[in-house]
Amino acid sequence: MSFLQNNIYYIGAFGLIMIGLLTVLVKHNLIKVIIGLSIMDTGINLFLIAIGYLRNGTAPIFSSPEVESILMVDPVPQALVLTAIVIGVAVLALALSLAIRLYKHFGTLDLHKIKELKW
Amino acid sequence: MKSVFSLILLVVLGAGVVFTLSSIPFGSTSSDVGEYYIDSGRADTGATNIVTSVVVGYRAFDTLGEVTVLFVAAIGLGAILAAGRENEEKKKAEWEPASLVLYTGCRFLFPLILLFGAYVFIHGHLTPGGGFQGGAVIASAFLMVYLGCRKKRISRTWARNTESISGLVFVVTGLTGLAVGGHYFLSNFLPEGTLNTLFSAGIIPIIYIAIGLKVGSELTGVIDDLIEESE
Amino acid sequence: MVNPVLLIAVPLGLAFMVPLIDSASRKLTRFVPVAALLFNLILCIRLIPAVLENPIVINLGGFTPPFGINLFVGPLGLLFAGLISLAGLVVSIYSLSYIKNGPVVKYHMLYMLLLTGATGVVLTGDLFNLFVFFEILCISSYALVAYHGDRAGIESSIKYLIQGTVGSGLLLIGIGFIYGIFGTLNMADIAMKIATVEQSTLFVPMILMVAGLGVESAIFPLNAWLPDAHSSAPSSISAILSGIAIEVGLYAVARIVFTVFGISDIYLFFAFLGILTLLIGEMCAFAQSNIKRMLAYSSIGQIGLILFALALATNNTVTGGLFQLVNHTFSKGLLFLSAGYMIYRSGSMEISSLNGMGKRMPLTSLAFTVGAFSLVGLPPFAGFPGKFLIVSGALLKGEMVINILVGLVLLSTVIEGTYFFRVIQALYFKDGNGEQRKQAPATAVTAMIALMILIVALGVYPKFLADFLSSASSDLLDKMSYVGSVLK
Repeated sequence: MSFLQNNIYYIGAFGLIMIGLLTVLVKHNLIKVIIGLSIMDTGINLFLIAIGYLRNGTAPIFSSPEVESILMVDPVPQALVLTAIVIGVAVLALALSLAIRLYKHFGTLDLHKIKELKW
Repeated sequence: MKSVFSLILLVVLGAGVVFTLSSIPFGSTSSDVGEYYIDSGRADTGATNIVTSVVVGYRAFDTLGEVTVLFVAAIGLGAILAAGRENEEKKKAEWEPASLVLYTGCRFLFPLILLFGAYVFIHGHLTPGGGFQGGAVIASAFLMVYLGCRKKRISRTWARNTESISGLVFVVTGLTGLAVGGHYFLSNFLPEGTLNTLFSAGIIPIIYIAIGLKVGSELTGVIDDLIEESE
Repeated sequence: MVNPVLLIAVPLGLAFMVPLIDSASRKLTRFVPVAALLFNLILCIRLIPAVLENPIVINLGGFTPPFGINLFVGPLGLLFAGLISLAGLVVSIYSLSYIKNGPVVKYHMLYMLLLTGATGVVLTGDLFNLFVFFEILCISSYALVAYHGDRAGIESSIKYLIQGTVGSGLLLIGIGFIYGIFGTLNMADIAMKIATVEQSTLFVPMILMVAGLGVESAIFPLNAWLPDAHSSAPSSISAILSGIAIEVGLYAVARIVFTVFGISDIYLFFAFLGILTLLIGEMCAFAQSNIKRMLAYSSIGQIGLILFALALATNNTVTGGLFQLVNHTFSKGLLFLSAGYMIYRSGSMEISSLNGMGKRMPLTSLAFTVGAFSLVGLPPFAGFPGKFLIVSGALLKGEMVINILVGLVLLSTVIEGTYFFRVIQALYFKDGNGEQRKQAPATAVTAMIALMILIVALGVYPKFLADFLSSASSDLLDKMSYVGSVLK
């Protein structure tokens, strides 16, 4: 039980990454693939945050001069996640615009039906 | 065969991940770099939000790259949608006008949301928040107007110029630091002021305001592109 | 001394400024990339003497590493930065007349940002910063592959985007692990601390990071996207993707494997991977009837060869590998640029449709021939010293396994020669439909002539470049001096 308690964030993060990866690999519908990419991104962000977590930690903000600096969580992963989220949004926007164009051209979003380019 | 192979790969990778994670115990790690930031972040950058001092102070170059990623995506989206649009004839869809309650509600909430977004990015160095969050809030205000008031549109030239100028402000702030403030790109050349006041932390508020405006106008541009496509 | 950060800041600032320039004067926009890259090229040349003496380390924001981000401008980084600005300049001159339709302003912005991202990757000394610039490079290339908005472009862009995004996700997980283990993101700092942890702990992060970067650098088996993307993009973009983007990916792999991890047990594995990539690329190229797909597969092969040369990790082979890399950038660029106008003229990408092109477009065909000869490795072109250095350096190692691998390299060169001569035969010795002779526009011809001169000059005076490459290779292999110069 304590194993689960200790590692639940890691398990959750990698669970999300795996779900996302599986969606990308298995699904045929482009929108679902994009959703899979998004889930994977979320899992990665959660993983990064979990790495910097300190038990019973607080946010690293000195909102008033009395705040003590002990037990503050690591600020670096939070900064990294901020960047990673923005990058995820950027990729998502581009992928969706490509999906719109793809649908205009082929009339379908099923990736198995879109196989004009040979390997 | 293929599935057996991928299963073996997955098991090996999973075992490796577990093994590596066992050297990073959850909830107790604290890095040297992180501790340094917490201890001297206030003195180095003048921001009380340490995440901000990392994002716009110590790792400001990352943030410049991050802004560029969003910029690239917004242009790319515009380019992809514009490339196919040329040879299609325009057919205007007739949209049913929104009801009076929705219309009035949107118009009432719009300035308030804008104000909140501006508050979030102006106070980025003091409170949780910052340029990206504030920008996203501002873009959501425009999205609401697009959905609720239907026919209202922003001027694209105006959005593009805001985007352009605020991006330039970021780069020029960095270059000014290179020129005057101890010969480093993006170094803080303004006085740090007193902690916990609005006018403190040197260049951090300037950069965050630029980011906020840039992200807000960029995401609004993306929304505008996508809505135009759906017509 | 000029500050190397300008290599990134100035093109970025100009790219942000393009919409303002565009509203002032529409004609001026096309020349912004030319101006930015010319500026970068001059800056790179001015930096050469200082960098050869001592690598330049720039602390951004005035914070010392590992607390701030730093740029590391050694001979290797400068070589890549110079290569990016030179090839970028030539291709931007070519695109002045080649890109006429579609959202032209956006094309030039994306093109400039792609090269800025590439420059950032090769100069940065911070792992996460590398990821950010890598994403700029990737996202702008996804968008540029789909620039024409045709069926093939959109389809291959989607494939590229899905695989690239999964790849950068893996890279980010790897970076997360590294931060968790070492508590720092500075590459020199990690390289210094790497000996303090068990090697088995590092295995998974390294696999994740190499796999993530391997997608972009098209190492087998992660290169499924490349032939589609490189063949459906506009030819000017194909030249940049083949000549710059995958090389930058390879640089990142080499930097991480050699400098950050530096575990020499696995180098032989990379040598095998390189040979496998080489053979598969060349054999697939042999089977193609579409000229751009053939060139794309040949890029995979060349990347494999360069990876093999780098993985042998002796000064001679790395110098040879870098020479081959420079040669590949110029000659593959030249091949794609010349093929671009031949395709434009004949209206088809099939090799058979190029019959008799030697009479209809003599200069473009000559450019194609020079590029092909150089890539195969015939003297007096730039490909010969590169391949010669790789083969002689590898044989000097005197190991049986490596000798066999060298045999495979020579075999692949024969395959490469065969399919390139097939195209050249079609250009000169087959009769086409008797069309009028008409050259490509002046800007395109200028670009092609510049690349031809570079290839021949490097082939005749290889020593000129080889000396610089030799110090670049010690920059890559000498981990201790890298750590020492960053964390002084």
